[in-house]
Amino acid sequence: MKQLYTLLIAAFTLTLFACNKETSTTQTNVMNSMLTNKTWYLDYSITSGTTKSYVGQSTYFVTYLKDGSIKDSDGLTGSYTVELIAGKSQIHEQVKTANGNPLEVIYDIISVGESKMVLSKQVTSGTPTQLYFTNK
Amino acid sequence: MQILKIVFKKHFLFLMLVFAAFGSVNAQSAKNKVHSDKGWSLFGALTLNNQLVNDKGITAPINYLYSSVNNNVFKPGYSGGFRYDGVSKRNNYYSLSFAINRVSAGTSYTNKYTLAPFLEDFTHFKADNQFTTLSVAAHYKILLPVNEMRKYKFYAVLGPSLDYKISTISAEHLINGSGNRAFVNGDLGAEFDNKGHYALYAHYKLGCNVANSSVPTTLNRFELGMSIKVKDLF
Repeated sequence: MKQLYTLLIAAFTLTLFACNKETSTTQTNVMNSMLTNKTWYLDYSITSGTTKSYVGQSTYFVTYLKDGSIKDSDGLTGSYTVELIAGKSQIHEQVKTANGNPLEVIYDIISVGESKMVLSKQVTSGTPTQLYFTNK
Repeated sequence: MQILKIVFKKHFLFLMLVFAAFGSVNAQSAKNKVHSDKGWSLFGALTLNNQLVNDKGITAPINYLYSSVNNNVFKPGYSGGFRYDGVSKRNNYYSLSFAINRVSAGTSYTNKYTLAPFLEDFTHFKADNQFTTLSVAAHYKILLPVNEMRKYKFYAVLGPSLDYKISTISAEHLINGSGNRAFVNGDLGAEFDNKGHYALYAHYKLGCNVANSSVPTTLNRFELGMSIKVKDLF
């Protein structure tokens, strides 16, 4: 019995050094790490059930950088954040047009991975557009 | 396999009682107990590890390509530690051990998802497949009646063990409350003791999360190891 106590005390002591746990930002940090330092090319879009393909042609692309900045093929530059709001994961982009006009774009993240991403663009009316990106 | 696991978990206590009863009858007949059965030993083992991951509880919108994360094989690891072998007042053989385990596990994912029409065959979760644990085990040893018992002893071994991850868990593995550290295992194996000088053993460990997890994980491990009495080393 003495030996069992010795073993248990030794085990408990060593477990004190093992501590990292989920925080409120774990999920957004993981999604952010999948987005950053990559250029995402739009391959498909689906609007009201109609699929449009951009594969093999010049297409829209967007680059998310690790410092929180963003630039895309339309000339928009600015900053972005990945946020979890009411259980929905979103990308909030605060950008300026080439003329310097501010613009906010919000995407719902349907799925994000190392090489494939599906976003849903919020619109004021009608069904949202689903956007399918890959990085090459 | 699932049915076997459920039966094993449900009837674990009953099976323990059956083996304890068998062991006590066996121990009564082993009146010529040898005091070399007692003592501290150091041991080391090679292990083969596989984990089965069920990511049903993950809600984060993350995708990992199934083909890049799924690897249904047994991968090698190692463990080492010390143990105490003893004989109780009722002539029951037992061992208590403490080990550090480096686990490298092949990972099999039970669920495969599709997001039509563009995403196929992905999972929502990526498990850590390399980690370090501390383990504590209490084994009941049943002396098997084979020839030359004065020289060599064969034991059947069973009992519970507890593993606790001490390595850093990756952020991917912490998603949605999935970062459980503690595993409880049921161990079953055989040991060969050569006149108390050294012992060779083979154990199988079937483990699962101690607490409810959004990602229930089953850990399968085989151990092949050797222990040497401390008094013979120092």
